[in-house]
Amino acid sequence: MSLNTRRKLLPWLFIGPGLLWLLLFFLYPLLNQASVSLMTGNPEQGYDLTWAFHNYWDAISEYKEQFGRSILYAGVSTLLCLIIGFPLAYFTAFHAGRWKSFILLLIILPFFMSYVLRTVAWQLILSDDGTVVSFFRTIGLLGDDGRLLASRTAVIAGITYNFLPFMALPLYVALEKIDPRLLEAATDLYASRTTAFRKVTVPLALPGIFAGSLLTFIPACGDFINAALLGTPQQYMIGNVIQSKFLNILDYPQAAALSFTLMLFILVGIFLYARLLGTRNLTEAAI
Amino acid sequence: MAEQTRRKFLGRGGSLALAYALAGCGIEGTLERAQKAATPIPEITHKKVPIGNWTFSNWPLYIDKDILKEFDEQYGGHVKYLEDINDNDEFYGKVRQQLTAEQPIGRDIVTLTDFMAVKWVRNRYVQPLDKKNIPNVVKNLVDNLKSVPYDKKRDYTVPWQSGAVGIGYNPKKTGRELNSFNDLFDPAFKGRVTMLNEAYDSSGVTMLAQGVDPTTAKIDQILAAIEKIQQAADSGQFRRFTGNDYSTDLAKGNIWVAHAYSGDIVQLQSDNPDLKFIYPDEGAMLFTDNMMIPAKAEHVYAAETMMNFVYEPEVAAKLAIYVNYLSPCKGIKEIVEKTDPDIANNPLIFPSDEIRKKLHPYPALSDADERTMKEAMAKVTGA
Repeated sequence: MSLNTRRKLLPWLFIGPGLLWLLLFFLYPLLNQASVSLMTGNPEQGYDLTWAFHNYWDAISEYKEQFGRSILYAGVSTLLCLIIGFPLAYFTAFHAGRWKSFILLLIILPFFMSYVLRTVAWQLILSDDGTVVSFFRTIGLLGDDGRLLASRTAVIAGITYNFLPFMALPLYVALEKIDPRLLEAATDLYASRTTAFRKVTVPLALPGIFAGSLLTFIPACGDFINAALLGTPQQYMIGNVIQSKFLNILDYPQAAALSFTLMLFILVGIFLYARLLGTRNLTEAAI
Repeated sequence: MAEQTRRKFLGRGGSLALAYALAGCGIEGTLERAQKAATPIPEITHKKVPIGNWTFSNWPLYIDKDILKEFDEQYGGHVKYLEDINDNDEFYGKVRQQLTAEQPIGRDIVTLTDFMAVKWVRNRYVQPLDKKNIPNVVKNLVDNLKSVPYDKKRDYTVPWQSGAVGIGYNPKKTGRELNSFNDLFDPAFKGRVTMLNEAYDSSGVTMLAQGVDPTTAKIDQILAAIEKIQQAADSGQFRRFTGNDYSTDLAKGNIWVAHAYSGDIVQLQSDNPDLKFIYPDEGAMLFTDNMMIPAKAEHVYAAETMMNFVYEPEVAAKLAIYVNYLSPCKGIKEIVEKTDPDIANNPLIFPSDEIRKKLHPYPALSDADERTMKEAMAKVTGA
């Protein structure tokens, strides 16, 4: 083998395992489910591929409410994560000093425990006779008969809590990279601290905001644990529907159609978002 | 040049994957299997072999773990006990693909409720039992469970425990005694009620409230019952639709009235003595969970030995004391009376004959009717 061919083959050797992994565990299941989404039938007679594109239409029209809810809840949670996560990341990056690693550890700590278990813990914390609810009742934020659990508030709060680290960590990475001398230069040039923050810090943190929002919004859209444990059927999201279609009703085609529709929504959303923030951020965020 | 062939190769590989993904099309149904399976069972003999490491899947909190230890000590080997069945449909959904593909599901005993057991027996997802290996079951199984419509001679299934589906509630919160399934729909308890999401249970008790016998109900009557649940759910009557997981809410006081399983309430009473379980005046639903050996399971003899072991009256008594459901094993009330007279006199665990008469088994529905019912109920529960 000539040096030239070897040189050309080498990259393929490196990319090979990853490529194979993608083909086997991403592309194949995806195509498989794509074909399932076009089948018709029932669990007894089996399902056959009939190119039933109406599955998609049926799925969307029947469950538009849950789709809307998923996007709304995930959107609000992402925003809340940003509002809470930004000051947290900012403080950690610029003012935490020797406490930096400790604070980072605290942000990651919840991951040491199972996701479902943490959500169940919130069931206990928010329970009707618990301290949180009675506190809110005393200060008049909740009526005497009011509740937190099994409400929209609880579901959104649960999602926000569970996905906060996904927002805070990319933000921290982006802020950490900012050279403090840039801020000094801005103030030297007579920018006030707010102007420096607005014109220097925020633009440089954009890749972090972008990555954090995606990492929060995408899984939050498909989440069903929070709605199942902290909500009622009136709060169920599209994830709950897909889970029940797959496991309880065994209606695989519609479950697959719903999954693809959700994926499409998210892809379109990301595309628009990237347009808004500029594609350069997308690649930078990935680094 | 090389690059071109590689691209071609990748392209071909890709289209091959695509073709394969699309061509193997179709997901096999169960109907054909059920028809093939409806043949008489030959004489079954399972050889006595060492127990080995085997697996038992059951519902959470459904055994006194000492029984497992005793079993290991007495028979050798090791039982891996999984509490991974929390919902019949969900469990079936998880293992269905393997079962239809004739693959082992990695479990030697599964414990499933009647309506799901019907499906497993009908499709032969289970193996016939060697009656010679389970003499205790043959001898001690209570008479009213000796034959069920889906397994006339108990060739495939062995009852684990039975239970009643009634109402669990906290009289201090409701402010009055309850005595009917209509109380689940009382607007005074709006937002403080949970209902089971299992369609057989929820439609069953609603029909009892409507004065319909659920055991002989037709699909129209079932759908009418689900319609009633829908209306109540739309008005915010039910806080949640649950599996076994109403227990935290009930014990914590988040809900006042739960559509509940008898045994759960007995266990919860030890945390919160205020709680009560009632068999409403209209009667209650009766379910039985059945041990079965999945098709292709490896440790058949171990499974049968366990089935036999839990039908030794002493072991069955210990189980009843712990799980507080209705035991399918004869002659254990006397044993329990000696050590735990409270339990022996508890009508939730040893109900009187009068109450037993009021317990209604689930209806036997066709696959199509069952699906119609489940889809209707899934719409109500919002998924």
